[in-house]
Amino acid sequence: MNATASSTEERLSVGDIELEVIRRGTGQPILLLHGMQNVNPQARFLDLLGQKAEIIAASHPGFGHSARPADFDTVYDLVHLYLDVLDTLPYERMTLMGLSFGGWIAAELAVKCAHRIDRLVLVDALGIKISDRETPDILDVFNTSPEEVQRRSWHDPDTWSPDFDAMSDDELVVRARNWESLCLYGWHPYMYSPQLKRWLRRITMPTLVLWGASDGIVMPSYGRAYSECIPGSRFELIAEAGHHPEIEQPDVFAERVAAFLELKS
Amino acid sequence: MDVWYHNEITYPFVPQEVLDGVDSVRASLPNKYCDPKIAADLFEESLDEFLLCDDLGINVVAIEHHAGINSLLGANPLLLGILARQTRKARILSLGTLVSLRQEPVRIAEEYATADVISRGRLEIGFVKSGGSEMASNNANPVGNVERYWEAIDLITKALTHQEGPFSWEGKHFTHRHVNIWPRPWQQPHPRMWAATGDPTTASEVGRRGMVNVLVLRGPEGTKRAWAAYRQARAEAGLPKVGSDRFAYAALAYVGDTHEEGVRIGSKLMWFLNTSLKSAPQYARFLPGGAPPQFAPQVYRSAPKPDRNGGSNSKKSVAPASQNAGALIGMTAEQAMQQGILFAGSPDTIYRQIMDFYDEVGGFDHLVMVGRSGFLTHAEAEKGLKLFAKEVLPRLQEVAPVTVG
Repeated sequence: MNATASSTEERLSVGDIELEVIRRGTGQPILLLHGMQNVNPQARFLDLLGQKAEIIAASHPGFGHSARPADFDTVYDLVHLYLDVLDTLPYERMTLMGLSFGGWIAAELAVKCAHRIDRLVLVDALGIKISDRETPDILDVFNTSPEEVQRRSWHDPDTWSPDFDAMSDDELVVRARNWESLCLYGWHPYMYSPQLKRWLRRITMPTLVLWGASDGIVMPSYGRAYSECIPGSRFELIAEAGHHPEIEQPDVFAERVAAFLELKS
Repeated sequence: MDVWYHNEITYPFVPQEVLDGVDSVRASLPNKYCDPKIAADLFEESLDEFLLCDDLGINVVAIEHHAGINSLLGANPLLLGILARQTRKARILSLGTLVSLRQEPVRIAEEYATADVISRGRLEIGFVKSGGSEMASNNANPVGNVERYWEAIDLITKALTHQEGPFSWEGKHFTHRHVNIWPRPWQQPHPRMWAATGDPTTASEVGRRGMVNVLVLRGPEGTKRAWAAYRQARAEAGLPKVGSDRFAYAALAYVGDTHEEGVRIGSKLMWFLNTSLKSAPQYARFLPGGAPPQFAPQVYRSAPKPDRNGGSNSKKSVAPASQNAGALIGMTAEQAMQQGILFAGSPDTIYRQIMDFYDEVGGFDHLVMVGRSGFLTHAEAEKGLKLFAKEVLPRLQEVAPVTVG
């Protein structure tokens, strides 16, 4: 790994791609794949998990402040980039944790690269098709009103919905980059791979599927079905949390993850 | 100067309380509000207007929009086929089937070649970038739209011009291994091509390709900016100057017997801006790829900070389309007339308005008049067209093409 720390942020170079990366804590290494938004370095769950493990969270190309190379525009590209990341980081095996959209990437990686991943945590993950052809499993965040998307994203939308008027210019630019990149990668088929469900049986490492009980982007029933496709996986709900339990219930979230990973402070 | 008649075939007959109660009159308004019998009448009337234009010496424009009160023309090639057969003299501009939304550019080339042959060489092919609610209606990724647009145009152009048997296309967005369309187009090497854009970056590419750049409801500043980009791009590429035949301007337009009548009836056209542009934020401000991310501070905050040049008319290369639409929704007829978005009056006053605008923007050879919209009736549209053809058209036809820039 060629991690270089600048005065403000750390970067991770993988081949010709340079990623913005957050690193927190020491101990068992956890590669964290973010969801619709890149990870906020101030997020409490990072500090909580960082007391017991080493968290490495890159911003995907096009998200946060990570550049997106020309013609890098599919989940296929993301999966292969993170295969490169797994090969580049100095650990034989890592824990892989994917949130939402990042859960899709994590599931793809776990199918392909079981020997490098000792445990898998999927949090409100996207990536597969469960219901019939006229029942969307995943809320169409691009064609739904922004208010409805927020209402369905959070257990407590009044507290957690973003206030664009209060954000800095840089935060808004990042928000728009994230939105555009998510759309680029996930527009069609919408946020899933038609093939992935069949191959989830290849995931043999211990797996925790963790879900916000109030998630209205992807319902807990989808999470249960996801878990049932992964042999031996454990499914757990986090109460009073929506699509982002790591943000709405960081303490419970960190506890559940730590218990599953048998982390000791 | 040539004159073109443009009728979006709008559907204004949805109760106002319904329109007031929804966040978008496009893409998501249930089609239970569209009575097919009324739609049939609107198509019949509008087709009669196009045929009247054919008799009057006015060319015709077939547009395309999807799933909303702003237009029933979701299937441009169907209208094109009717016009190709039923008109006899008019040139027919498809403006256009929305190429970046369709999966099969080769099929589009087949449709265009067929319409060109049926009309015996009267087709003009216009390309529209599309955006906003059209992306939802057509399941098209809004990110990468412009890249798809140009690749579709390249493939359509090659399909129209390649005459030596099948060729293969393995592009980024489109693949087609065996392209060989029949019939090939009547006009050689292909029908003239137009592109509707006010974005200077796109206008530059339109300029390098020598297409006709049509500005739709953009006013003088936006129009001058796009055409300056067009000319500058040609100059930088070492390409020859073009004549005013490469420039077209589209405005709402109505002529009455008196100035007062022209303005009174022409003001009905404002429905198109005031009512039919209403679009939900997910199709506008928050459309991914709608504006580059660096514009997010202007676009995302609830009260966008107008820049020094006044928001949508800024000198920045990309004024988000949503901002342009936002400015048009609240516009009055008087403001629209001041900005060259509505030409209305008597034959004398409308002629002066058009020529004042012509002088201000440096000349154009095609006036596209949006002559019917909203509650402006078929009878009013036909009366205006006849008067326009008799009193205004001959004067405009005397305006000869000039080399510009």
